Amino acid sequence: MRRLLTALALAIVGAVMLAGLAGLPRPGDPAAPVHTHVAAHIVAHGVEDTGSRNLVTAVLLAYRAYDTFGEVVVIFAALAAVMVVLAPAAAPPPGKTAPPPSPAPAVAPSPVVGFVIRLLAPFIAAFAALVLWHGEALPGGGFQAGVILGALLVLLSVVMGRGLEQPLVPAAAARWLQAAGPLAFAAAMLIGLAGAGAVLGLPAEPAWGRHAVLLLLELGIGLGGAAIILGLYLQMRGH
Amino acid sequence: MEHLLPLAAALPLVAAALLPAVAWRRPDAAWGWAVAVGAGLLGIVGLLLRRLLQDGPFSYAVGGWAPPWGIELRFDALSAFSLGIALVGVAVLVFSGRYAQAAVPPQRRAWYYSLLLVNLGGLVGFACAADLFNLFVCMELVSVSSYALVAAGGGRIAALAAFKYLVAGAVSSLLVLFAVGILHALTGSLNMADVALRLADVEARGPVLLALGALTAGFMVKAALFPLHLWLPDAHASAPSPVSAVLSALVVKLGVLGLARVLPLFAGLDWLVLAPLHEGLAWLGAIAIVAGALAALLQEDLKLMLAYSTVSNIGYIVLGLGLATPLAMTGGLVHVFYHALIKATLFLAAGAIIHQAGFRTLRDLRGVGRAMPWTGVALSLGVLAIVGLPPTAGFLGKWYLLLGALEAGRPGFAVALLAGALLIFVYYLRILNAFYFRAPLREQILAVREAPLSMLLPVMALALLCLLGGLFGSGPVALAALAAARLAGGG
Amino acid sequence: MDGGWQHLDYFAFVALFCIGLYVVLAKSNLVKKLLGLNIMETSVFAFIVTSGMVDGGTAPVVGPGIDAPFASPLPHALILTGIVVAVSITALALALIVEIKRQCGTIEADELKGAE
Repeated sequence: MRRLLTALALAIVGAVMLAGLAGLPRPGDPAAPVHTHVAAHIVAHGVEDTGSRNLVTAVLLAYRAYDTFGEVVVIFAALAAVMVVLAPAAAPPPGKTAPPPSPAPAVAPSPVVGFVIRLLAPFIAAFAALVLWHGEALPGGGFQAGVILGALLVLLSVVMGRGLEQPLVPAAAARWLQAAGPLAFAAAMLIGLAGAGAVLGLPAEPAWGRHAVLLLLELGIGLGGAAIILGLYLQMRGH
Repeated sequence: MEHLLPLAAALPLVAAALLPAVAWRRPDAAWGWAVAVGAGLLGIVGLLLRRLLQDGPFSYAVGGWAPPWGIELRFDALSAFSLGIALVGVAVLVFSGRYAQAAVPPQRRAWYYSLLLVNLGGLVGFACAADLFNLFVCMELVSVSSYALVAAGGGRIAALAAFKYLVAGAVSSLLVLFAVGILHALTGSLNMADVALRLADVEARGPVLLALGALTAGFMVKAALFPLHLWLPDAHASAPSPVSAVLSALVVKLGVLGLARVLPLFAGLDWLVLAPLHEGLAWLGAIAIVAGALAALLQEDLKLMLAYSTVSNIGYIVLGLGLATPLAMTGGLVHVFYHALIKATLFLAAGAIIHQAGFRTLRDLRGVGRAMPWTGVALSLGVLAIVGLPPTAGFLGKWYLLLGALEAGRPGFAVALLAGALLIFVYYLRILNAFYFRAPLREQILAVREAPLSMLLPVMALALLCLLGGLFGSGPVALAALAAARLAGGG
Repeated sequence: MDGGWQHLDYFAFVALFCIGLYVVLAKSNLVKKLLGLNIMETSVFAFIVTSGMVDGGTAPVVGPGIDAPFASPLPHALILTGIVVAVSITALALALIVEIKRQCGTIEADELKGAE
């Protein structure tokens, strides 16, 4: 009965949404406002303004860099959130004995898997570097590279049996790496203030300045993202 | 000087990311770092506010990209709520020093402070956003940190409440994002002023109505407006007390501020009549006032009582927005600011009492007022303020709302308002009665000691602001009137 | 502007959205609720990216030999941010589910209600 009511309510929601959306411009219509206003400006001036041929990167790291700054802080907040929820509480809740933090199940992966992953690791790392380096010119960028690198670190942790006690990246260094994204943006804010007269602006001088700032941001996002993915994995692995 | 606007949000956000690294070797440094950042934020907001009062609203184009190509930040009368955010933020951070030692496990503490800073930074960013997507990003910063902070203290109810809060919050965020997508598809822009301008030329009515509906529904959930408040009581009551203060005083205001930001987008459409929406909001507000107060009356748990009181007070604010007369909106917006101070006082004082006594229901806490005289005074001041007795801070908002209801020719709403105030009076009388005039049920209560200075100071400071707020209320009222005029005038 | 087949993409979005919402509302298992939430998120992302596409367009990467029309770069950037937010929320929700399982021994909403 409850399910029926839910389904009925959803049918109404769906009908309302359909009725509303039917009035939108046809998707793909080149004359739609989506293409004629801000996007048109970015397509026309993006390369010249930012020096990045990939316009998505231009939007992410230049025009809307402030949003991307918020985004890297959100990823950091996800790590902080998981830590604050899962880090062991010293005192067990009254009336309930908390189980001791169970050691990670020592399932030894097959030697074949271990060997293959170790063999592939340098290539995966190189691919991550390529994706990061070419974020300005090809589809890709810091986030994608960070995910690839993070996945690699997680894979290696699994294969090498590294847990919280003995992490792949030393814990003290990991804390700084996890802050790499917001730190890179903080640096870019100061550089912009000094070089372009606006927070997060791209400096006009020297000629390579813009590329350096974009690369710095990509690096911060990539390394920070990877470190956070590894941190999330390590924290959840214990459970 | 002009660059302070983007830095106001950036300072706490970057500091939050650095905090676990800084506190890695010296865990004690976390508290000092967080308090210093909070003080810095208060300083920046003070400077921004001074500029607002001298020169009027001002904007900042981040990265030097002129709007609408880039992101615009704008500090206007509505953004002045940042002062409330910074004040409550500093008080909560200072208060957390001793409280977190008992309530937050040591391995979680650095992350706890970090999340508090993320929360404050997101709130300030939200208050200053002039771009729809930036608004969404800041809202998510606040949301993610809030969900997690609820569960920071541990405990089964807290984890469940946090999950419930997360699901409700995530769905409402999606509604807002969906509406932003529609508005972008209709106008090709994300800058709010630009969207408002270009929306006036849009002929298709369906998508506009859908966007308006999704935004209203999304922000209503965020504001915990009755009947969409079900996630609030458990989350606010089971969180650590400083977190409850932030959630109840600041985070629910996000929904109200969000509504006040996006409704003017639709004001330029001559075919769109907002009156039914306003009418609906006013009714929901009035129902929330009475229902929230009634629910609070039935609670035994001190913090649950305060949580339901928030539902009731959000009702006041939304009633003000719904009545849509200048006086009523002024009252609602003034109450946004003052309710933040008052509710923070109440939650922190309650936190101090629960921390010292170890009990949290009214029965168990009987007689605690005599054992903790200073905290008791602060709590009583907060109570007087939330009831709305002159000359406290709570009086102004309700007074203007009352005038506004009469101005709009809706005496019925005025009655609901007064009935709500009366109910609030009754349930806070219950608190005072239990704390001062009943014989203790538990003998431990007699041995309870006054809260330590680092907890007492922020509570007393906030209580003093509650008391004086009414006497020096002309500034906030003038700002709220400005914001209300902009809301009513549209654009 | 007459609805119909031209808006087929948007219809798919609405269907996905409703499926996700149904899972969130009707399923009792918390992991399933989280999956429903993810379906909803994906549907909104798909909607916004769809609104930025253009007939015969390519990815907005300018270079020699690549001609306009380009799909609007703005929705892509927005949705990259949106995806990151969604991932963050999913990570936190999973952590909460782990904690709930540890504290209460179950992750079925029906049983949790009885346990309180």
